[in-house]
Amino acid sequence: MIFNSLIFVVFFAIVLILHAMPFPWRAKKINLLIASYIFYAAWNPPFVILLWLSTVIDWFAARGLAQAEQQWKRRAWMLLSVVVSLGLLCYFRYGHFLVENFSHLAALAGFKYTPPQSSIVLPVGISFYTFATMSYTLDIYLRRATPAHSFLDYALFVTFFPHLVAGPIMRPTELVPQFEVPHKATADKLRFGLALMTLGLFEKAVLADGFLSPVVEKVYDGKAIPGFVDSWVATLAFSGQIFCDFAGYSITAIGAALCLGFALSDNFRFPYAAIGFTDFWRRWHITLSAWLRDYVYIPLGGNRHGNVRTYFSLMATMLIGGLWHGASWTFVVWGGLHGLYLAVERRLRKQFSGYQPGRAAAAGLGLLTFVLVNIAWVFFRAKTVHQATLILGGMFGRNAHVEPVLAAVYLLTTTVIIAGLVLAHCSMRNQTLEEAIARAHPAALTALWTIMAFAVVIQHGESNGFIYFQF
Amino acid sequence: MASSISSSEDIGRDTSRHALPSGLRHTAADRPGIAQPVPERDIPDQPWRAMALIVMVLVIVLASLWEWKMRTLELFPGDLGDNYDRWAELRRQVDKRDVPVAIIGDSRIWFDTDLDRAAQLTGLRPLQLAIQGGSGLPILENLADDPHFRGLTIVGMAETAYFDTQFAAVRPHKALELSRWESPSKRGSFLIQRVISRGLAMLDDDYQLSTLVFRLDRDWRPGVQGPHDGPWKVQETAADGQAWIWRRLEHDQRMSEHTRNVWHQLFSPKPLDDKSIKAVLVRTKIAVDKIRARGGDVVFVRPSSAPDLRAVEDKHLPRAKGWDALLAYTYTNGIHIDDLPAAKNLTLPDSSHLTRACATVFTDAYIRSLADRTPLLHLKPNAPPALSTQNCVQPSVASLN
Repeated sequence: MIFNSLIFVVFFAIVLILHAMPFPWRAKKINLLIASYIFYAAWNPPFVILLWLSTVIDWFAARGLAQAEQQWKRRAWMLLSVVVSLGLLCYFRYGHFLVENFSHLAALAGFKYTPPQSSIVLPVGISFYTFATMSYTLDIYLRRATPAHSFLDYALFVTFFPHLVAGPIMRPTELVPQFEVPHKATADKLRFGLALMTLGLFEKAVLADGFLSPVVEKVYDGKAIPGFVDSWVATLAFSGQIFCDFAGYSITAIGAALCLGFALSDNFRFPYAAIGFTDFWRRWHITLSAWLRDYVYIPLGGNRHGNVRTYFSLMATMLIGGLWHGASWTFVVWGGLHGLYLAVERRLRKQFSGYQPGRAAAAGLGLLTFVLVNIAWVFFRAKTVHQATLILGGMFGRNAHVEPVLAAVYLLTTTVIIAGLVLAHCSMRNQTLEEAIARAHPAALTALWTIMAFAVVIQHGESNGFIYFQF
Repeated sequence: MASSISSSEDIGRDTSRHALPSGLRHTAADRPGIAQPVPERDIPDQPWRAMALIVMVLVIVLASLWEWKMRTLELFPGDLGDNYDRWAELRRQVDKRDVPVAIIGDSRIWFDTDLDRAAQLTGLRPLQLAIQGGSGLPILENLADDPHFRGLTIVGMAETAYFDTQFAAVRPHKALELSRWESPSKRGSFLIQRVISRGLAMLDDDYQLSTLVFRLDRDWRPGVQGPHDGPWKVQETAADGQAWIWRRLEHDQRMSEHTRNVWHQLFSPKPLDDKSIKAVLVRTKIAVDKIRARGGDVVFVRPSSAPDLRAVEDKHLPRAKGWDALLAYTYTNGIHIDDLPAAKNLTLPDSSHLTRACATVFTDAYIRSLADRTPLLHLKPNAPPALSTQNCVQPSVASLN
């Protein structure tokens, strides 16, 4: 089920009540585990089996790993876990993509190969929980962590419903210890958790779905070739939509976990105030970029084996990051662009290592970062590389003399929302959300909370899935 | 592998030189290559109890005012709107029970059919499966392929929708997709929505916050039609599939005029080519034959449209090339509004849909006529007396028409 649905309201209320009951801690954990399976099964019940499979295989692989003394045995257990996890991921996510591309290659070589019709349904959130379970065995293999003492704690770490389908991608060392001892939210924790959930739902239901999504769809799902203004506004709208959708999900997840007394990791840190791309990736989808850094970039050599190896590791990591988002060449290009941005930035940092930008220069670099991030978003949102090039053509003024697409009200609302978003990010770039809230006047906070909650109520409507569920 | 782990590595940057500004807490981004510790989540120092209480009270007050405002706009509790979940739930009934009569087509046959009146006349309450802005053809084909269905299909016909195999097919295909698989979560949310919408008028999809803001745009940007010129609210829908034209359109001339203008913009006067017409006839015949092979039947009904709209529709597809050709090619019965004297001069506030009272008159007329033409529908011996135009149109107005 999704957070912005009526069924979730009922579900969450029941979970909160059960968690507040005076049951033994083990019974509460079993309640949470069952609730999490119900949460997942509410999409498609048979896929719970996949979740069990992923959970059980990594549990036994980790135990085997911990007990093995010889290195080859440890490696074998680790490989078993990685191969099974990635195998499932590849089958469901990339099977069709691989077969389709093989067909194209065969055609280029003069052979005709028609792939069978694919009927593979993508299990929601598979990339998220696969990465979570992989981090469990990999951390044990890398001797960063020891296996969980209880299968229940481990299964709950994998399945805990707030983070299950769209992150934050939790590591076992972040969550398992929290399940080992009783956790219950204090009254203020519960209220703050509800306030965070209101913020997340406001971002998702009102800003992303209500105001930004229609603007994006008019250009990216339409047939008209967009001009300069329409291409830029639709792309800016998408940059706002994807942030409000995903950060909205993350903040709702963090709020939901907090209501139950648990802490989830930060996943965003005001990314549109980033100055440079290293900074951007320390602020955007933090748990994924940190996962890729720890389990892909560093093992590939990181920045410890010379320039060539570093650039190779960078590009490979970002391409994998692109592919993680979906089996499509547009995601590969998006990842490649970010790899290129990071490589160029690294080169420039070396070239101008003593340079400290002033305020104006920092603002300029921040703006440049934002513009380049938006250019990359074109590939992320476009259905094909061809469509992306058409929209980029519009953004660079090449689609002259085309009919306007977006009505003025779309231009106006998008401009207001994106300007507000960027200003908010800039003003809070060096603090946490909690610190900003602590500094605010209670009356202003109450007014803001009321406005957001009321806007969620009067926006209502059919709940749309979160964009990141497909990843 | 462990040897390549360094706490000084970050993607593209050496983080050991990266000082974290004060006021920020560490995240996974600041701790490369180590086991991530339990996250810190501090609760900001604020009077949360008082704030939460005030927010709750204010939201309840504001929502009550909003509800009052929506009711002054003539939105009513219990209106489920035009959503796919409702349609999918009705469609699944075909697989669960014997459905003797199903109605498919576009909004005209939907709003213009009074299911209660049909039940009073025949003892059978038709299953209403029409879709606003949708062609009946994909649904007809779907029923034809469903071995559970052995009843009578009444296909509502607005030629502009039925013969459109592109735009008018989009909504039926989406609805069919949902009827084949709908997640338990979506079904559950719909059930809850149905319960709470009985008491709340403000849950109308046509009056969402963003929709209201967008509608302020009265073509502000030259060359682009603003959302103000799009369709506003047109219908009221009950859970059992009964729908009517929105009651406000019956008396608010500005609103009905607006809706009429929208239809004129949407309906293309461009003539339909013969190849497209033939393709639709062929597909229809295949579906009709399949239903008949199982003992069922298919009849077509062409509801009213006002002269201004009818002129556009006839340019798009004249009766001889569309309606007459369809009946002849498929060997089916049909009731065209032109051939239904009991339903002449009915009131169409937006030129396309009948008033609620006139929908009952139209239903009475076409169901009686159908009972004469198909053995699958019989009038009850104690059926109420026939209605006429005078039952829904004031005599003075009726005579003027």
